Formats: sequence, structure tokens, C-alpha cells
Amino acid sequence: MSVAGQMERNLPPGFEDLEPFVARWAGETTAERMVTRCEADMEDIQVFYDAMLSRGEDAMNLISQHPLTDLPPDVANLAKLLLALAQASIAVELHGQPRAPEAPYPNSIRLTRGPHPYG
Amino acid sequence: MTAVEQKFMGRGSLTEGFGLSTEPLPLEPYYSREFFELEQKMIFRRAWLYVCRAEELPEPGNFVVKSIHGTGVEALITHTKAGRIQAFYNSCPHRGSIVVKESAGKASRFSCPYHRWTFENTGDLVGVPDEENFFPSMDKKNCGLAKIATDVWEGWVFINLAAEPEVGLEEYLGPAKGYLGGILYRGAHNPVVYTAVLDANWKTASDAFIESYHIPHIHKKTIGTTFASRLNPYSRLIGARPLGTHRTISLFGNPEYTIDPRNRVEALGSMGQEGKSVIAADVSEEATRFRAHPAINPDRSEHWSMDINQIFPHLHIDTGPGSFWTHQFWPIDEKTCFYEVRFYIDEATSIQDRFLQELFICRVGEVVLEDLANLRFTQRGIENSGKGVMHLQDSEVAIRHALTQVIKWTRAQTVKEALA
Repeated sequence: MSVAGQMERNLPPGFEDLEPFVARWAGETTAERMVTRCEADMEDIQVFYDAMLSRGEDAMNLISQHPLTDLPPDVANLAKLLLALAQASIAVELHGQPRAPEAPYPNSIRLTRGPHPYG
Repeated sequence: MTAVEQKFMGRGSLTEGFGLSTEPLPLEPYYSREFFELEQKMIFRRAWLYVCRAEELPEPGNFVVKSIHGTGVEALITHTKAGRIQAFYNSCPHRGSIVVKESAGKASRFSCPYHRWTFENTGDLVGVPDEENFFPSMDKKNCGLAKIATDVWEGWVFINLAAEPEVGLEEYLGPAKGYLGGILYRGAHNPVVYTAVLDANWKTASDAFIESYHIPHIHKKTIGTTFASRLNPYSRLIGARPLGTHRTISLFGNPEYTIDPRNRVEALGSMGQEGKSVIAADVSEEATRFRAHPAINPDRSEHWSMDINQIFPHLHIDTGPGSFWTHQFWPIDEKTCFYEVRFYIDEATSIQDRFLQELFICRVGEVVLEDLANLRFTQRGIENSGKGVMHLQDSEVAIRHALTQVIKWTRAQTVKEALA
């Protein structure tokens, strides 16, 4: 929070509704976003999933207006949030819970090199 | 009934085509300490071992360090000024210390952190602090980094831990060389890498990736509908052939695959792009050229999803509709292995493509996790089976051939005999 209780602006104008998710979900790498999903409560994942999915098309359209490897900081945050939706979908659409049932966590799987950028 | 439907009924003839026996096979190689030690000596210290793609060392000066797990060897692999890719033992000839601690980088010289002996990336010793206090037996010419036999075939870098390999790499690759030769390895410079330590013998793990019989059950939610359908409910192979000590198989693909409407995130990724999904074939010219290679979908089947080319002992080169990926299974001990999967992809140029990549990578992570979880149970059962043998069906022919080759290598007096 900045002065006068105003929310700091981390996302492009028009995406204020997603501001509350930036700190937690806009992780720098795929591996970080995976940890976020694995360690979040299902309710929190669902809230993020619903909010981000409803703005998914708008986000995609806005990000498309910039070169992918040279996004301005606010657009980059939006891109990372959008990418986090892929993680959220694993919980919501695949498992119905944050992590795979019967699989150990933490475990030895490491994503040592993700896709570029923000991977 | 069509010819294709016929293929998925009754008993197949792939095993017969390999010229293999159909008897049960022993489980002992999957858990015995004695057998593990035999493998280390007769296979991992005699066979050519794949370590990395040449694209990991794009320019002179680049180096990588790769652990050859079960052997304890750390291979320092360099790209020299003369353009050669060469592996060395990452150990200082002075008193044995590890020389390079980084896993990759760029340097024309390496200095041992212990006493600052300095080496060129050709392995030559060029600097010894207080050299005059050494004795004449320390000849700098003989005190370079110890070389490991290294050869490169179409970008695949192999090493051989034998002091003098009995056969060269080309002879070792045998029929696999002609069969796979000339493939255009798309995205080879741009891998996405997952690693894991698996609680399973390296063969237990490798076997799980050369049969699709388990896919409809173990990966029901993640990829089950991609590899099976009403036509082929048990995901039988569509083809398989031996390539000397190596082998290749082709997997069935469900042509009816469509995005499940519940997968709203995938639908978002394919927004406005006809035919785009996490698994949809790439229609670019490069992808078309890649697919035109005779080893990719070798039976030219309309029900094809991917090929698995197993290069002995521990590498799988998998090819799909638009790309390739690799699995490596390094033995650590008789019941643990180090697993590494590398997906080679094009660099995304649009957020949509990047988003689909992210979804793909997330799902793959879940598939690896399913295998990691399942393999613990497989290994535990294997170690105490009460029967000591396993029964393989026709579509598990690659497992049968792989184990037969492993046993053959452990018994062969010479590499030529093992390859015969």
C-alpha cells in the first residue's frame, strides 16, 4: 500500500480488479508459480482462477500488443498472472484439490529450466 | 472390421518380430545389488553414454559439468577453441580436488580452487604455483586433466568411460544411426527441463516410459484420452522394431481428441486459433519437414501419436507431431535413479503460444509426478514379489528387448559380442 491507503498500481489500467492477486500469484518463474499453487488453499485457488479466467481474453489481447520478450513492467505482471492460471487449472480442472492425490509433497521433482520468458 | 481395428484385437506379433522368447522374465536385475554392480562394470563403463546435446555448448569456451551418477564420475565437457567437444574427469591431477564447481558456463581456462593449478579448456596444464618446488616426476605435459573418450553424432554428445573404448560411437549406434540419421532436431537449443530422484531402479523407471499399457489407468486424468480410445482401449502399440542393441516403438494416438469443455483454461489458450491445443500438431513448414523423416511415424499411421527411440542403455529420444524430447535414467544405486526429461520447444513469440507452453509444462509436471508416485510402489513390489518373474504382453515388447539386451551386456566378454 502506498500513501493515503491507495493500492499501488502493478497492472495496466483496466485490470485493477486483479491487483489483489499480484503479490501471491505473479511469480517470476513457472517453478515459483507451481509452489504457490501446491501450497495454497483450494478456496484461494478457486477465487484466483475465477477472477483471472474471466479476464483471460482481455489480458491476452492487451499483452499481444507488446513484444513478448520486452513487456513493460505492468504488462509483464499481467502476463505472469495469466501464466499462473495454467497452474490454477491443474488444481481446479484436474485434481479438484491443490495437488495430485496420493503424490508426495514436497517431492524431488524440479523444473530446472522453464520456457522463456517467465518460465 | 478395418485392418486397423483388427490390429488391436487378438494377440499381436511384435515380440515374434523381434525374435524374442515369450517366456516370463526375471525381476532380479531390478533390485539386486550384485546385478547393479555388474551393470556398472559391464554396461556403464563400456557402453557409449549420452550426456548432452551439442547445443548446450554452442561456442568455443562453453562448458558443462555432468554427473555420471552411479559411477561417481563428474564429466567436465568443454568446447575448445579448435571447435572440439571434449570430456574430462573433473578432478585436479595434483591432489584430486574437483576443479569446476559450476554446472555450466564460459571459460577458456579453469583454475583448481585448492592450489590454483590452471588448465586450458583443452585439458592442458598451463600454470602451477611454486612450480620449482615440485620434483622432476611432475611433468606438466602429463599432468593435464584426464580425458574421457568423447564423440558427437548429429548433435548428440556421448562419452565412454573405458580407457580405450572397444568400438567407436558409429559402430555402437549400429542400425540406429541409419534409422534416425538426418532428423531435423527442432528447438534443440531451447529445452525445458524437469529432473527428479526416483525411488526406483533405473530400468523400472525407464520401462514405465516404453509401454503405453499403463497410460489409460495411471494417467487417466492427465493424458489418458490422448493415447487410448474406443478403437484401442488398452493403448496397444502401433509398431515396434529392434535397432541392434537399441529399439524404437510407435504409440497410438486418439484421433478423436478434442478439448474437454471443462478445460476452460486450455480453451482460452486456443482462443481464435483453429486446431490449437496443448497437443495439436504444429502445421509450420519446419514441423512438416520434421514429420517427413521416415523414422517419425514410420508406419505412416493415421492413429499415431509419438515414437520412442531407445538408445542403449539409458536414453530415450521421443518424437511427436512437431517436436522431440528426451528422457535419461541414470542409475544411482540398485533402487534409486536420477531422472531428467528435456522438452525441446520453439521460443514463443506470442502470449498465446507462451500460454499453451505453460499449460503443457504444468501438465507434464503432473504426469512426471504420477510416474514418481507410481514407481515407488512398482519398485517396492518388485523387491518382494514372491514369484521372481514378470509376465510381459506383446505391447510391452520394448521392455522385453531392453532387459534382454541389459542381461546380454552383463554376460558378454567383449563389446563386439554384446553388440552382435
